[in-house]
Amino acid sequence: MIKLFKYAVILFLCSAPSSLYSQNNTNLESNSLVLQQAKELYEELRCLVCQNQSLLESEAPLALDLKELIKEKLKEGKTKKEVKDFLVERYGEFILLLPTLSLQNLFLWIGPFIFLFIGIIFAYKFYTNFNRSSNKTKTLNPAEKKNVQKILDEKLE
Amino acid sequence: MKKYYYYIPLITFILLILFFSRQLFLNKDPSHLPSVMLDESFPKLEFNQLAKYNLLTIEDIFSYDKPSLVNVWASWCVPCKIEHANLMLLKNKHSIRIYGINYKDNLKKADEILNLDGNPFYSIGVDSSGRIAINLGVYGVPETFILDRNGKIRYRHVGPILEYDIRETILPILTKLEQDD
Repeated sequence: MIKLFKYAVILFLCSAPSSLYSQNNTNLESNSLVLQQAKELYEELRCLVCQNQSLLESEAPLALDLKELIKEKLKEGKTKKEVKDFLVERYGEFILLLPTLSLQNLFLWIGPFIFLFIGIIFAYKFYTNFNRSSNKTKTLNPAEKKNVQKILDEKLE
Repeated sequence: MKKYYYYIPLITFILLILFFSRQLFLNKDPSHLPSVMLDESFPKLEFNQLAKYNLLTIEDIFSYDKPSLVNVWASWCVPCKIEHANLMLLKNKHSIRIYGINYKDNLKKADEILNLDGNPFYSIGVDSSGRIAINLGVYGVPETFILDRNGKIRYRHVGPILEYDIRETILPILTKLEQDD
């Protein structure tokens, strides 16, 4: 009887931590999702004190406050977009490291392609012209041929 | 004849330079962000009290019938010390109402400074966590907002208010707001 009781105690002790662990685990999982989302947001947001750093890279007091705030908002169940909108409302689009695609930012987005297009056209024109003119010089007209022949003859003499 | 092609890169380059230099010279300091809160009503925030000083309330701001200033400051902030005398000047000489927001500060030291150098503020609200400042879009101290008589934010000044700023921006804006409607 005592033996059985001992086994029961041992069994209980073995099972207790695992049940505790599993409870912790679900907590950890939801926590790590928040942390994952928070980290993604940190990378997309600008630290306003050291302006070319993201929040993730920055240790400025304001950046730390903002990070804390972002984590809290995510824990409250806010989506990433809602948190972003909240910050943009207060600090402007400047806080986004990746500018949004809007009419105001259109040139920023399509500008490089326009320049690339101009470049391609220029390169095309330049090289086709270059080839044409180099082809032209290869064929001499009869007068030139005569002239060259004359010079060569002179040299040989 | 087709030589003008050769000038396209040069012309593009010059246009780019002009475009960039416009940003460089017109926007004097890129670290001064324009406020998104402009023309918005001052947000309905709640503050804690600092020592014996009047507590800043939203009712204060909206019941006042003249333009006013909201100054975010802290005792640890050196530019705030530079600005302090000018805030006193605005209060005493130009009789402008200034609300103070005490940002992430040691309250004892904040009290000491006001005892020592004088209190330019009509009322003060404490923001010990920095959350209120984030709600206002503040990203450094000192920052000052000019409110019109309806409690709308009309101007944001980043950095200390110098004599030059009082003369060139703060007072002209205040008189203009006073003349409006």
